[in-house]
Amino acid sequence: MMTKVTTLLAVLGLAGCASAPLPPYQIDQAQASIRGAEEVGAAAVPAAALHLQLAKDETLEAQKMATAGDQRAVLVMARAQSDAELALGLAREFKVHGDALKAGEDLKAVRARGNP
Amino acid sequence: MKTRDMNLTVALVLAGMTSACATVAPQQLVDVREEYATSSRGQASQLTPTDLYDAKKALDKANTEFSEHGDTLECRDYAYIAHRKIELTEVKARTEADRQKIAEAVKSGVVVRDSQAKATQAALTSTRDQMKEERRNNAAATNDLRAINAAQNKDLQATVGQLEVEKQARLAAETKLAGAMNDLKAIAAVKEETRGVVITLSGSVLFASGKYELLNTATTKLDQVAEALKAQDDDKRMVVEGHTDNRGSDQINQPLSLNRATAVRDYLVSRGVESAKISAVGMSSSRPITDNKTAEDRANNRRVEIVIGSPGLSAR
Repeated sequence: MMTKVTTLLAVLGLAGCASAPLPPYQIDQAQASIRGAEEVGAAAVPAAALHLQLAKDETLEAQKMATAGDQRAVLVMARAQSDAELALGLAREFKVHGDALKAGEDLKAVRARGNP
Repeated sequence: MKTRDMNLTVALVLAGMTSACATVAPQQLVDVREEYATSSRGQASQLTPTDLYDAKKALDKANTEFSEHGDTLECRDYAYIAHRKIELTEVKARTEADRQKIAEAVKSGVVVRDSQAKATQAALTSTRDQMKEERRNNAAATNDLRAINAAQNKDLQATVGQLEVEKQARLAAETKLAGAMNDLKAIAAVKEETRGVVITLSGSVLFASGKYELLNTATTKLDQVAEALKAQDDDKRMVVEGHTDNRGSDQINQPLSLNRATAVRDYLVSRGVESAKISAVGMSSSRPITDNKTAEDRANNRRVEIVIGSPGLSAR
């Protein structure tokens, strides 16, 4: 019984100090999302550009933390992933919203022509 | 004792863990919970339920982390991620709403264009029908005009033919008249005066002295006169005037001149001159053409004049 308690304490006490390298797939996912956001023009959309930059900064931060053995690197990389996805979403929204406005204007123009 | 110490240690550890869970949730997590509640009541639940579920899972991790370990950096990381996922859910919901608007606009545009195309087609068909009707009407009108023109041309040709016949007849009549007048000039004086053409026949040629019966030799001349008078236009009127010299009184000369004029008129009527067109009048010695001083002068004054004039001509 004593052994079990000691083991639990050891796990609880040492958990923050354990080395936690970033899984390669997580890095790939974050970088893919960043590239995706850049490809749809996130850098040109102010709201999206902010999150794109945050994603890039957090990716670097996560990699530094991983190098330093900080287990939080995984969560910071997840933050980078969420910012990159949001940048991508905002950039797409910007384009689709523009298309929607144009479609509305086009419809108005068609209706304005009326019947012959 | 060892068992008691061990129990105390476990109690302390559990107490420490419990105390972490009892702390007040960080504002960041509280805000994210509210954001999620708001988002789940909005259009995201209909348009992007999968993303909303992902956000919920991230929020659950944050809540779990907080309940197990309190306000840790990891808890705030999870809250941050949940916040971003809720934002992304909203963005995707708005994007989906825009896509639906585009689809609706395209669909409406197709409907409107289809309606306009049908209306255009209907207008086109109506215009074609009207044009066909107008063509039919024009063709009918053209046929009517052709028929009218043909009838008018026929009438015109008939009129031209009739005019030509009349012209020829007139030419013939004029030729005949000219011939008759030329023949007349051989036996009588013919001259144009303001009252008309005047044919003067000597009295001695027509009558014996003091008589008004025509001499036999007179009839030959009067026959020629009759031919000339019959050749005149239908609207001409003729007056036969009897004239005497100044010997004798008017009581004698007046009836004598009238009787002579009447004798000439009656003979001409008997030779075919229309009686309604010719009248007789006795002028006695009132209109001599010479002064009656010599026998020749008086012979010239004894005469019969036939005046051919306009419809208004009457005896003087």
